[in-house]
Amino acid sequence: MASVQKKICMIGDFSVGKTSLVARFVRQAFSDKYLTTVGVKIDTKTIDLPTGQQVKLILWDIAGTDALNTTTASYLRGAAGYLLVIDGTRFPTWQSALNLQKAVTAQLGNKPFVALLNKADLVEQWEIDEQLVQDQQQQGWSILKTSAKTGLGVEESFLYLAKATLETH
Amino acid sequence: MSVIPTHISQHICSMWMAETIMTYLRIDEHHNLIDWGGHPVHYGLSELTSGQSATDSLYFLEGMLTVPHTQILKFVRIGNDRSAHIHIIPFEREIWVILIDATEEHDQTQAMQQQLNELSILTYRQTQLLQDLEITRQTLQSEKQHLEKASQLKSQFIATLSHELRSPLTSIVDSADLLKTLQQTQLQEEKYLQSVQKNAQHLLGLIDNLLNQAQLEIGQTVLQPVNYEIELLADNLKTLFLSTALKKGLQFQVEVNVGMPRRLTLDPLRFQQILINLISNALKFTQQGSVQVQLYWQAPDRLYFKVTDTGQGISQETQQTLFMPFQRGEDAKNLSGTGLGLAISHQLVNLMQGNLTVTSTLGQGTVFQGYIQVGLVHSPLVSNIHTNHLKVLVVDDSPEFCALMENYLREGGYGVLIAENGEKAIQLALEEQPCLVLMDVHLPGINGYAASQELRKQRFNQPIIAISASALPQDRKYAFEVGCQQYLIKPISSNHLLEEIKRLII
Repeated sequence: MASVQKKICMIGDFSVGKTSLVARFVRQAFSDKYLTTVGVKIDTKTIDLPTGQQVKLILWDIAGTDALNTTTASYLRGAAGYLLVIDGTRFPTWQSALNLQKAVTAQLGNKPFVALLNKADLVEQWEIDEQLVQDQQQQGWSILKTSAKTGLGVEESFLYLAKATLETH
Repeated sequence: MSVIPTHISQHICSMWMAETIMTYLRIDEHHNLIDWGGHPVHYGLSELTSGQSATDSLYFLEGMLTVPHTQILKFVRIGNDRSAHIHIIPFEREIWVILIDATEEHDQTQAMQQQLNELSILTYRQTQLLQDLEITRQTLQSEKQHLEKASQLKSQFIATLSHELRSPLTSIVDSADLLKTLQQTQLQEEKYLQSVQKNAQHLLGLIDNLLNQAQLEIGQTVLQPVNYEIELLADNLKTLFLSTALKKGLQFQVEVNVGMPRRLTLDPLRFQQILINLISNALKFTQQGSVQVQLYWQAPDRLYFKVTDTGQGISQETQQTLFMPFQRGEDAKNLSGTGLGLAISHQLVNLMQGNLTVTSTLGQGTVFQGYIQVGLVHSPLVSNIHTNHLKVLVVDDSPEFCALMENYLREGGYGVLIAENGEKAIQLALEEQPCLVLMDVHLPGINGYAASQELRKQRFNQPIIAISASALPQDRKYAFEVGCQQYLIKPISSNHLLEEIKRLII
């Protein structure tokens, strides 16, 4: 079966773990050291779906921001879907995700996305109320808990989004 | 400003191009790669083929080629850790993609951004810590105020209690002195003895309240539910309060409504205590009119009570803290009392899974009403039992206590057997088979617990009431474990004793 390419953007506030999630997914690596992303970093990974179909994911790891500016918006062109990353230990990043999702929808239209509550390994420092998460899920959001450090939910999240992007075509 | 001549601008352009690591890629209208120039390997783009789909080898262009006008993507890192500004320029049906190396600029910007982001996170964490500290500080402050208030109330309470204890004690001492030193007529002696008895009872009530409050506070109060005739309770209340009410010229009624089951499973002493506190309070603060008590039943398991008075009423402010221990309203400051009665009643009602509320209008009166959860007993009531052929064995090493019990029992129509120690108690019980044994637990030789245990071993099946001066829950529990049916604490009133015996032998 022929391989298809899908552009996937990683979006979210700074230091929520976007780069670490890509590193875990693409290279099975993790570093505790925080290194901020400037502009955008592009990686690729080809995955096999349970249907047998191969998808080459072009991963655009966009610099963290709490609002969509012109530079960030220029990176979104042609995206088939996006991962909206939130740091579970910092509540303001949840609010940023809500704002970013609205702005991205205005820019791209309704594209598949998955919200990732990252840093699930630090659950004792969690600042995001479970009820808040459930309310947002009831509004149609797909929300998964991930940890780039332990690998929890990472593979599943990318796979889930890849399938969602194929279903929309 | 003058226009830069073409020659000069070409010179600047060639100089800039010479110093810039630049790569270009030319793509046709079908998005196939035509050719390229510059340094594609710089970005890891080593396998380029003319005529093939550009996005196959230039993956970063996926979705980016449909552009109506020039697009600039700044700081795109696409391989070999190189960063470039990418310009996508539609030109005469073709698309030119220009990559201008920006690695150095990227690294400088990153270092600056890194510092800003780290500072921002530190500030956030610091703010959170300060907020947590503030919450902890407020909690501690609130706890401190609470403890200060509690301490103040306890101090006030001790002051009140000292006064409350001193007054009856002085009276007792004075009366005893008079009895000892003066030659009095029998009538006067009786008067002084009544005074001693009344004041001693008052002191006992105060101490009982203190113990009750302490036990309720530490959660040690255990209910002792038994089958109980509710009419007995009503009669007791009338006996206890009618004379006080009459002395004040008040009407006093205790009414058991139609539909009340004859017997209920409840802790009669504790329920009576609730009502005694409410009625005492009502009588204390009512100068004219009436105090009415109503008891009514609501199936399946609620015993409602209502104490209505036509007294001075309670202000809204006082009502707020009425059920808190050691609280005394302004109106009560000059009257005797410790501020524990209503608190105890409230806590006991809660313990019985019920509810107690107050409604009051100043100058018109007050209504305390509520309910407790009880069990219903479907057994026929035996109201008149013939006791004159029944013998009760009293076991106590104190001849005075034995004499007192004998008086009570004979008044109730019972025959009496006396044993002063455990050994004799066992012998008499087995020989005479009394209908009930009153067993003091602290006896010389075989103590009351061991004697009870032995009697049960010897298949003595009649009820045993343990008697002790200890109010400790563990002593009560142990008495039940060794085979006693009831545990009574000294001193014991005649009515209470006879009621318990009646209840156990029916």
